Amino acid sequence: MSSDRRGPRAAWRAAPSGLLTTPALAWIALFFVAPVGLVFWYSLGRKPGLYQTHANDVLTLDRYREALGDTFLTSFAGTLRIGLAGTALCLAIGLPFAYWLAVKVRPHRRFVVLALVLVPFWTNFLIRTIGWQVVLSPEGFASHAMQSLGLIDTPFSMLFTRGAVLLGVVYNYLPMMILPLYVALDRVDGSLREASKDLGANRWRTALQVTLPLARPGIAAGLLLVFIPLMGDYVTAAVLGGARGNMVGQLVASQFQQAQNWALGSAMAVVLIVVIALTILATAAAGAACTWLLTHRRRRELAGIAEGSPA
Amino acid sequence: MSSSATRHAVTSAGRAGAGDGTGSVDLRSVRKSFGGVTVVQDLDLSVNPGEFLSLLGPSGCGKTTTLRMLAGFEQPDSGEVLISGAAVQHLPPHKRDVNTVFQSYALFPHMTVAANIAYGLRQRRGIDRAEIRSRVSEALDMVQMTRFADRKPNRLSGGQQQRVALARALVNRPSVLLLDEPLAALDRKLREDMQVELKLLQNRLGTTFVFVTHDQEEALSMSDRVAVMLNGRIEQIADPYTVYERPATAFVAGFIGQQNFFDGTVADGGRVIEIDGGTVLLAEPVTTPGSGAAAVRVAVRPEAVAVTEAAPTEPDGSANALPGTVAAVSLLGDVLQYVVHADAGHELLARVPRRQAGRLAEGARVRCSWAPSDVHVFPAEATPRAPIGSAK
Ligand SMILES: Nc1ncnc2c1ncn2[C@@H]1O[C@H](COP(=O)(O)OP(=O)(O)OP(=O)(O)O)[C@@H](O)[C@H]1O
Ligand SMILES: [Mg+2]
Repeated sequence: MSSDRRGPRAAWRAAPSGLLTTPALAWIALFFVAPVGLVFWYSLGRKPGLYQTHANDVLTLDRYREALGDTFLTSFAGTLRIGLAGTALCLAIGLPFAYWLAVKVRPHRRFVVLALVLVPFWTNFLIRTIGWQVVLSPEGFASHAMQSLGLIDTPFSMLFTRGAVLLGVVYNYLPMMILPLYVALDRVDGSLREASKDLGANRWRTALQVTLPLARPGIAAGLLLVFIPLMGDYVTAAVLGGARGNMVGQLVASQFQQAQNWALGSAMAVVLIVVIALTILATAAAGAACTWLLTHRRRRELAGIAEGSPA
Repeated sequence: MSSSATRHAVTSAGRAGAGDGTGSVDLRSVRKSFGGVTVVQDLDLSVNPGEFLSLLGPSGCGKTTTLRMLAGFEQPDSGEVLISGAAVQHLPPHKRDVNTVFQSYALFPHMTVAANIAYGLRQRRGIDRAEIRSRVSEALDMVQMTRFADRKPNRLSGGQQQRVALARALVNRPSVLLLDEPLAALDRKLREDMQVELKLLQNRLGTTFVFVTHDQEEALSMSDRVAVMLNGRIEQIADPYTVYERPATAFVAGFIGQQNFFDGTVADGGRVIEIDGGTVLLAEPVTTPGSGAAAVRVAVRPEAVAVTEAAPTEPDGSANALPGTVAAVSLLGDVLQYVVHADAGHELLARVPRRQAGRLAEGARVRCSWAPSDVHVFPAEATPRAPIGSAK
């Protein structure tokens, strides 16, 4: 009865929210839950014979024991190191850059700069990375330039070093860091920065106390957008790092492709997913704890004023 | 609500009458342009310690730019900015002893009300925690926002945010407080309450206020002095009474309150001005540069115009009077406002106290008249620099 009077708009709003979220839920189920569930299921099985990839006739955790062997762990530690260092480097470069872009560059020039940031995306990922191989090889541009500057006297190869891997990682993932940071910083109203300076904070304190805290969601998004794909990427590392760039993603892929051992590959993939998730949680917890500790004293200082308790 | 705003003792040392110039503001030949467009030109302005000065002018006349040069957000192209007697034009905003109340309030959304107010104190060295706390709670008390200390700004009404912005600036006890249309976003009733509150607060603290507004009533009711700006210059700076009663230029005359303007020419050695359909007698003769019939603009306030029913026998077009027909009548509170179409083509506005005279109907034949002492004369240019004389 009463619903008759509410009109179609109210009826639409009153529709069970489940109805409206169905497409999104279906999407997640089809493209996220199902594949991850399948991988988890395979990881509990085994490779029954030479020509079969997996079987789940016996459920066992043996694949995990196998996966956590020495090669995998070494490679895993290396991957995590590159993942963390690469993400940190991207943040260290991307944050000042995005700040400069959002705050200092005139609005009508920003799009030009943003377009330049995105130019590398117009070329294929593999081609760009191989391009760096050419630059960094002993006969390459980097070596020549350093020789002609007199910094070194024999041809020098940056290629197949950890530095080369990090360079490639930063080059490939930096835009993924800059874009969310730029969006977040751009949304911080300029009059807030002015208010901060007006109240006696110099530009560093303004950045630390006003701009960065307000850009926190963008920083989190940037970290996730770089760290997660980076942990699964092995092409950049393989092309520029050679034997040193042995990433865990490569081991997983080779189990699926060369060894045709889907069960073991799945177990490795699950370990990878879990470690990525734990790293993110640990980082988030550390971030929250730091913020809490840093603001704790100040909150205590002002606590209870509303209740009128004495200072 | 307005009276209790000042109930609480505020320990800010009264800056007024400090005698050492603390709280004074001086702009000397300040000029500022943006991309070749001059926005502020040769501006000279002195504000006394403890004074409430309003910058009043139409949109785009450079009020905000002037204020931003005082705060340090814009650098003047030339000229000097002095605060408390010291040149500050090269100091960044955070080193100036001024605070700003922004039009948009600019409260930090990630901090509570109390933390917003504490922000300025925390940037300084040598203020201990107990003092921060007591000054914050004192400032909250001053604007009656104590109850909301732990709220985030996005959960406050516009008027409450405005109070927080005010407290956040005043808690630092600046020598000069700059306010850029702080009441513009509030509805009429709240705005009028806040005007009273702000004025009382300023009286109590003795802090110099430089208050930007484009609302002439606001400027007249709150200020010790009003600086009327046009095109980046100050047209007149005087106390509200003088600005209203003796506007220095035709622009000021028209911008402050309403005016009936007539264009005419000077005759009879400056004693009389010929306008269409009549003559205007002056109390004192005007002196015109050069000789001959100078073009002038005559202004008469609506409340100086008397409207009487025209007696059929009376001759039309005597001095300081125009015959006409009532085109519209409206009641503005205590006064009746008549719009009269004069026979000579002018449209006159007249305001008479409601109780004083019987109400005339639309279409009535009337005679509008005024006293010679209510006439102001200005040069005929669109925006004159200075009056050639004024019939006081
Ligand atoms: N950063 C800027 N760049 C270019 N032009 C500007 C800038 N700031 C102000 N202007 C121009 O300067 C003129 C004066 O601006 P200002 O903001 O001082 O006016 P205002 O008197 O405060 O007007 P309002 O009452 O509308 O706020 C305007 O024409 C404006 O377009
Ligand atoms: Mg303005």
